[in-house]
Amino acid sequence: MDPVAATTLPIPGLLLAGSVAALAASLWLLLPKTSDTVNSRRLGFLLGAAALIGFAATGRSLGGVGEDAVFLTVAGIAVISGLATIVTRSPVYSAIWFAMALAGVSGVLLVLGAQFLGVATIVVYAGAILVMFLFVLMLAQPSGMAPYDRVSNEPMLAAAAGAVLLGLLTLSIGRLSAAEPPACCRLPSRAQAMAAAPTEGAGSEDDRSATLLAPATAGVESVDADEVAHLGAELFGRHLFAVEVAGVLLLVALVGSIAVVSRGEATETDHRRESR
Amino acid sequence: MIPATLLTNALLVGAVLFCLGLVGILTRRNLIVMFLSAELMLQGVSVTLVAWSRYHGDWGGQVLVVFVLTVAACEAAVALVFVLQAFARTGRLDASAWQALREENLPRVIDHGLPADDRVVPTWPHLSPAGVLPEGDDSRSLERDHV
Repeated sequence: MDPVAATTLPIPGLLLAGSVAALAASLWLLLPKTSDTVNSRRLGFLLGAAALIGFAATGRSLGGVGEDAVFLTVAGIAVISGLATIVTRSPVYSAIWFAMALAGVSGVLLVLGAQFLGVATIVVYAGAILVMFLFVLMLAQPSGMAPYDRVSNEPMLAAAAGAVLLGLLTLSIGRLSAAEPPACCRLPSRAQAMAAAPTEGAGSEDDRSATLLAPATAGVESVDADEVAHLGAELFGRHLFAVEVAGVLLLVALVGSIAVVSRGEATETDHRRESR
Repeated sequence: MIPATLLTNALLVGAVLFCLGLVGILTRRNLIVMFLSAELMLQGVSVTLVAWSRYHGDWGGQVLVVFVLTVAACEAAVALVFVLQAFARTGRLDASAWQALREENLPRVIDHGLPADDRVVPTWPHLSPAGVLPEGDDSRSLERDHV
């Protein structure tokens, strides 16, 4: 069933170590520090690009999808924008970069075939949550750049910890892809059995995806037109109680935030009492 | 159903996003940027969940991501209210403004060697004057040349 995973090369260790080191150095150089210069940031950008290329090569050694231009593009947008989100000095630019990262993540979800979630990410995150962030920034941002935006807590330790964690995750993903055949063959077949049970036409679809023409086209072809309907049936069928609980949670959050805001009127008097 | 190669690549993207968000929430001091970093970590987890869900042909992962979206919306609403309240009390969006809440045996964070206000002086285009000079109004004082 899975010839690609069986023939997967193990991750080249030197490449991974180099990528991790480049990522740590790049994060340390790019994070806001008091000793920043233009040249150090430039070097950080270069090292970041090197780390990105290294991780892309690692992903390619895990499978042939590194050649899928669409996936590579949207993943690159997501990762680069995510990096820019955490290293930008200005919180407004940070929020805008986060919107770009959301666009990239939405593209990745669409490539994966989760159409509803790809659209919902844009609508809910970029449309609602991010606008709320920008409103708060407009209400709360002091004019000019605040000094606390130009320093960060322990940038070296944090960058090293994040890069090492990423290296460990990559290693475990690589071990996963070079996994034993029974584990990786049993699960898709069980899923295929589940998928083939309700409908008649699912058999031919499985045959088509089993040929594995190219990974990208197989992924696109396996997208069923009723994806949203299936997700809705699952959501409102098996997980109906959880949907109700989520609705109650939304209501409680709404009431709670309004309650806290209207209690905020009291903080004005608190201020006056403190200053007196 | 997606092939295993797409699964591993999507897992890699999710891991990168998660680690970037982790570094951001550990280092940055602006409350809003810390919050954005937490959302970035959520995005990484969402990509991972959807990849596994599509690989196994099981809807559980995507259903979980739907609930992650819901809880993230609630969390953002409540937490941004708290951020606004914190700003109203201290006048700063600085996490270190609340270091009075730290443990007793921990040292106090003192900012020394903070860079002076290094805002870039904007270079305006040089235009030849034409017409009458408009009178200055108060609304111009609200404009910022730097965000």
